[in-house]
Amino acid sequence: MNRRTLMLSAGALALSARAARAAEEVVIGLVYPLTGNGAQVGLDAKVAYELAADLINGAAPPIDTLMAKGGGLDRLGGAKVKLVFADSQNDPQKARAEAERLITQEKTVAIIGSYTSATAATISQVTERYEIPYISADNSSPSLTQRGLKWFFRPGPHDEMFTKAMFDFYKDIAAKTGRPVKSVSLFYENSIFGTDSAGVQRRMAQEAGIAVAADIKYVANSPSLSTEAQKLKSANGDVLMPSSYTSDAILIMRAMNEIGYRPKAVMAQAAGFQEPAFVSGAGALAEGVMSRSSFAPDAVKLRPAIPAVNAAYKARNNKDMNDNTSRQFTALMFLADAINRAGSIKNTALQAALKASDVPGASLIMPWKGIKFDENGQNTLSNPVIVQLGGGTWHTVWPFDLAATEAVWNVGT
Amino acid sequence: MENGILARRRRELITGAVVLAALAVLPLPIADVYTRNLIIITLLFAGLAQAWNILGGYCGQISLGHALYFGAGAYVATLLFVNAGFPPLIGMFVGGAVGGLLALLVGWPCFRLSGHYYAIATVVVGEIGYLLFLNWDYVGGATGVYVPFKGDSWLALQFKTQKLPYHYVTLAFAAAAWFAAWLIEGSRWGFAWRAVRDDVVAARSLGVRVFASKMAAAAISGFFTGLGGAIFAQYVGYIDPESVLGGQFSILIALPAVLGGVGTLWGPVVGAAVLMPVSELSRSYLGGSGRGFDLMLYGALIVVVALARPQGLVSLLGRRRERARAA
Repeated sequence: MNRRTLMLSAGALALSARAARAAEEVVIGLVYPLTGNGAQVGLDAKVAYELAADLINGAAPPIDTLMAKGGGLDRLGGAKVKLVFADSQNDPQKARAEAERLITQEKTVAIIGSYTSATAATISQVTERYEIPYISADNSSPSLTQRGLKWFFRPGPHDEMFTKAMFDFYKDIAAKTGRPVKSVSLFYENSIFGTDSAGVQRRMAQEAGIAVAADIKYVANSPSLSTEAQKLKSANGDVLMPSSYTSDAILIMRAMNEIGYRPKAVMAQAAGFQEPAFVSGAGALAEGVMSRSSFAPDAVKLRPAIPAVNAAYKARNNKDMNDNTSRQFTALMFLADAINRAGSIKNTALQAALKASDVPGASLIMPWKGIKFDENGQNTLSNPVIVQLGGGTWHTVWPFDLAATEAVWNVGT
Repeated sequence: MENGILARRRRELITGAVVLAALAVLPLPIADVYTRNLIIITLLFAGLAQAWNILGGYCGQISLGHALYFGAGAYVATLLFVNAGFPPLIGMFVGGAVGGLLALLVGWPCFRLSGHYYAIATVVVGEIGYLLFLNWDYVGGATGVYVPFKGDSWLALQFKTQKLPYHYVTLAFAAAAWFAAWLIEGSRWGFAWRAVRDDVVAARSLGVRVFASKMAAAAISGFFTGLGGAIFAQYVGYIDPESVLGGQFSILIALPAVLGGVGTLWGPVVGAAVLMPVSELSRSYLGGSGRGFDLMLYGALIVVVALARPQGLVSLLGRRRERARAA
């Protein structure tokens, strides 16, 4: 070996060492409400993301699911994932400023967020301008993927898909039991969540030829809902479809009980009805309540990794994974997989890898068919499920092939 | 005596010009986007607090419903742009005009109330505005309005990643509000308004038209607040009722003025210069832990100032000057 080749190889060594060092850490930004209203959701999310990162990096015992085998990002020389959290205080302006800070100061390769759709609206504008991918883990407003953004990716379902699942369920259960839904009662709170939800439900009921027996909008956090309960009783639709947060959800169940009314079926737009506080607060009255969900915690036959992930999460946060935390966990695992497939942290390579995603559902903890985006960045394979409360816990009852339990269906009896 | 006042006013104008010049060159050596954003937000709130100060400070009419004028300005300029392609650079003045008009509409019945009752009435009116927009489909209802990005443009007040243009827009806004307050301080109106603030009965006995004074102060205050709202909307790129019409915004607008010194020329500026950096920096560097330290710090600062200097931070400057003169 002469001196020249020695120098060249030394140079190459130095270069590769530098490349490896550069790839030691991949920084991912997360914008969530960590204080103020919505803080609990943000703090739970933080635990879910930290668990996901530890699984990727090998700081937690490996689990047989996407990217959870440890060892970092193998196609980037085993680079570790580093998370940087920022507090949006659930304010769109602050969320925007934090996203900008994460990109320019922390040099994040992507941003994940953000619980509320209003904060996602501004964060995704920043990521679009800086040409950095935004992974929408848990924002469910359909308007977000109707803006033609090129750096916006939503692996989870949006609200229209959730509501469609309810009506698909009505069709399937009618075919199965011969007892169709003829009318529904809409009951919803007056902010963005409730009015949007009811708007879609009204339209889909009409399309399905189902009558709207009652259409009741109420003021959120009402001290009393007894008038509303009376109206629901006199309308007596086959299915009560509430869109409410926790305290209102408990209140309406109690108010209906007080006047001796029990709807044949209740199909909730998740939210308050899926909170543990509802299950304990409404007690026996909550039995048989159905809800849409993007997570099927009992679908362990098809998704055998769920118990291990849930146990690891519960050990850290003393509660089970839910609709939100499961989607957040999945968002980071999916993003890590995409970075790994890109084999680079360059923005255009990552964007291309995200666009080309075709992740099989079996590798996720979600009941989805997989992850594959349309041109607006919406995952078209994220089918929601319908869950039902029985004995104080949620059971998946639809789609039937995922269901661990038969649905209790009293309509038409 | 006359000369003393004139000299003081001239000195204030010169100080203003020097501060303006300093702020104009301030961002040039700062390349960091985050710091530039911090300065922009501070300038915006300095202008908004000054607008509030014109009604709440000089005229003594405490309004806790300024979010209404702010939101109206934001919505008007944004909807004109999104639905009719009307450039926000001009549309923001329409937004300001609507803000001023609304302030007159609110003032017409509410100025018949005095003291705390006016403040309570403005809270209610602000809340009505919020609920109205929340349920009004034409303005996007609860979903809000996205401002589509169409490339860098001064007319549209849109810039992909540049911060400097926004710096000059908000600086111009804050300077205009400051200059308006300066003009008011030395004018016949300003004297009449302060008389209304100090003692309504005495003011009326001296021939001050009380109702007209309040209305004029409200219109000017509403105009600048609406203007600020329009700028905010273009800067953030998305508005919804919660973020521009929410009750907390009315407080945020008044807070720098109250903390800095109500009814003073420099109070709102000093208040914003202290509050906004504390709020932004503490959130960014302490907020990520999720333990709420940032909000504790922010709250503690307000409590300390309220206890130690109820007249506002700006009185610290004044006291030193008096002491210097006495010496």
